Amino acid sequence: MQQIRTDAHIRQVSRTVRNIRHTPMIPLWAIIGGTAIVALIGAYPYYGTDAYVLSLLGKFLCYAIFALSIDLIWGFTGILSLGQAVYFGIGAYVIALSLKMNYTLTHATRYGHKIPDFMEWNGLTEVPHFMTPLMNKPFAVVCALAVPTLLAFLFGAITFKRHIYGVYCAVITLAEALILQDFIIEYQAYTGGFNGITDYSNYSGKWFLWFILAVTVAFFIIARVLTHSRVGTVLKSVRDNELRAEFMGYNVANYRIFVFCVSAFMAATAGAMYAAWVGLVSFLDTGPVYSIEAVIWTAVGGRGTVVGPFVGAFLVKGAEFFLSGTLAEWWQIIVGGLFIAVVLIMPDGIVGSLAKWARHRRRAISREVLEDSEPNVEACQLDWDAGATPKVQEKTR
Amino acid sequence: MVMQSIITQLLNGFSVVAILVIAALGLAIIFGVAGVINMAHGELIMVGAYTAAVVGKAGGNTFIAMPVAFIVVGLLGLAIERGIIQWIYDRPLETLLATWGVGIILQTVIKLIFGPELYYVGAPKILRGGFHLIGRLPFPWYRLFLIVVAACLMALVFVVIFKTNLGLKVRAVRRNRAISGCLGIDTARVDMLIFCFGSGLAGVAGAVLAPIKSVSTTMGFPYAVDSYMVLVLGGVGNLWGVVAGSGLIGEAETILSFIFNNVIGRLLVFLFIVVIIRIVPRGIFGYSERQ
Repeated sequence: MQQIRTDAHIRQVSRTVRNIRHTPMIPLWAIIGGTAIVALIGAYPYYGTDAYVLSLLGKFLCYAIFALSIDLIWGFTGILSLGQAVYFGIGAYVIALSLKMNYTLTHATRYGHKIPDFMEWNGLTEVPHFMTPLMNKPFAVVCALAVPTLLAFLFGAITFKRHIYGVYCAVITLAEALILQDFIIEYQAYTGGFNGITDYSNYSGKWFLWFILAVTVAFFIIARVLTHSRVGTVLKSVRDNELRAEFMGYNVANYRIFVFCVSAFMAATAGAMYAAWVGLVSFLDTGPVYSIEAVIWTAVGGRGTVVGPFVGAFLVKGAEFFLSGTLAEWWQIIVGGLFIAVVLIMPDGIVGSLAKWARHRRRAISREVLEDSEPNVEACQLDWDAGATPKVQEKTR
Repeated sequence: MVMQSIITQLLNGFSVVAILVIAALGLAIIFGVAGVINMAHGELIMVGAYTAAVVGKAGGNTFIAMPVAFIVVGLLGLAIERGIIQWIYDRPLETLLATWGVGIILQTVIKLIFGPELYYVGAPKILRGGFHLIGRLPFPWYRLFLIVVAACLMALVFVVIFKTNLGLKVRAVRRNRAISGCLGIDTARVDMLIFCFGSGLAGVAGAVLAPIKSVSTTMGFPYAVDSYMVLVLGGVGNLWGVVAGSGLIGEAETILSFIFNNVIGRLLVFLFIVVIIRIVPRGIFGYSERQ
């Protein structure tokens, strides 16, 4: 009799556990909240009139995707890249070059050449042959997305296969970004150098905003599905204990390369849309400073959460746009302080801290449910404690 | 003629190597022993250079500026360690973020104090001009001085690490932190002193490098990145790694820049580094840990 009752309890408890642990891929609150935010941003052209705010919205969405790409590799897999802007920047430059060359076909420069003005200043009389294919816009888009992804694959194949990660990876990616920046400045005849590429017909208006919004939503859903799938679990285990993951038979390097490529693809998409939306690309968009800035958006929002990068990018960038004007130099000090504060006080970021709080609460409630239901559940309770409350270890090694 | 230009390039390369050694030494100690990724290293060099500028205004020269910068920046390092880094030793990748924040703050504060304009620090009188080593190409005295300083600092660090009581503890902590702690070494104190000493060395680097570069708030960052590349190539936790890394990077960069141009030179050196660490992932003199 006693035995049967216990079995029933176990069944009941495990059902409760399942209900709690198997959260749906995309929970209801996320669907409702996400739809609300998407509606709020997407409907701006109807209720808002400020063109500046409209352009900011598009920009911020690109920043959010960029931050998400960092979150995928850093927050979920533990690879800190300080050169993610390389992929963003290449995507942006390819698109900007393509748009610029198309623009000059109809808008001749000062001296009558139908080539981008920076080429004319540097003594070129026609577009170099290796750049002419970029005139074809679909080809340019393919290039803008494929080249960074391929580059990321090469980088990953070289470094991750040899267990180069952590600090080494951070330093190498940092140098990568610095060198790309130097390259762009040095070869100004092809890249516009210090001035960057400006003055081309960019895409603005509500249709392109909706396009950016759609891509953003798609990427956030992809990220959520990816990180909550079986692959995502492996990625997290690579982050938390690489050695153990490897001993369990997972090819850690391949998982790292895969997620690095996905991340580079996202960054490149963000860069390409950014160039098309803003109409200005400069060498700063490929540099180490920009990369690290994006890392801090992710950290503020909450790394290891999918919504975090979105929140972080909007909050930090928003604050920058509204405060840096009035605070000028002091804004930099605030940014510096933010780096320190996020590390010392809130390593989980805003969303991460909220999620933790919610998790604790949910666990407390489910405990009450268990205790109220029936007596004699000590054994199950033990099981429950061991199985359902994994110690949250979110330190990056 | 070809021979002559090759030798000149090699000599120029030596001074680049010296600069790299000077800049990377402080970082090698902090990174190698305390395990802190100090992204503010470039800014500490920058503060050292500004100290040299202030000393220069007050009538001193580089020789006076070096110890002053060591003390000023060493104390600054102490403040950073006590205020921030002591809480996050166990999270190396996050020290990177925090010290990046420190770097931004230092840059801004220095800009607020000294203004955005560039400062120029002259070399001491006896080190001005140059001498003719071969043919008619002059080799500046100051470059020779840099090589001497690099050698002296290297010797100083060797003495501190291998001949003093502190150095013994440092090596013990480097090898096995937990057991050193059990044997009664105050590991937190060792970390603190090492951070302080490494920062001081960064200050000296700034004071020495100030005359060859215009002093500005953003001057430090390239040095920091170069220093990290030196460590990645040479290996962390071994002082010979600093020499090997600086030697390879400095000479390769000078020669490749001479053959192609600066940017191509840097790109090739970067690829070279990636290839090398692909072969030896922990650097040439890397400390292989048994786990």
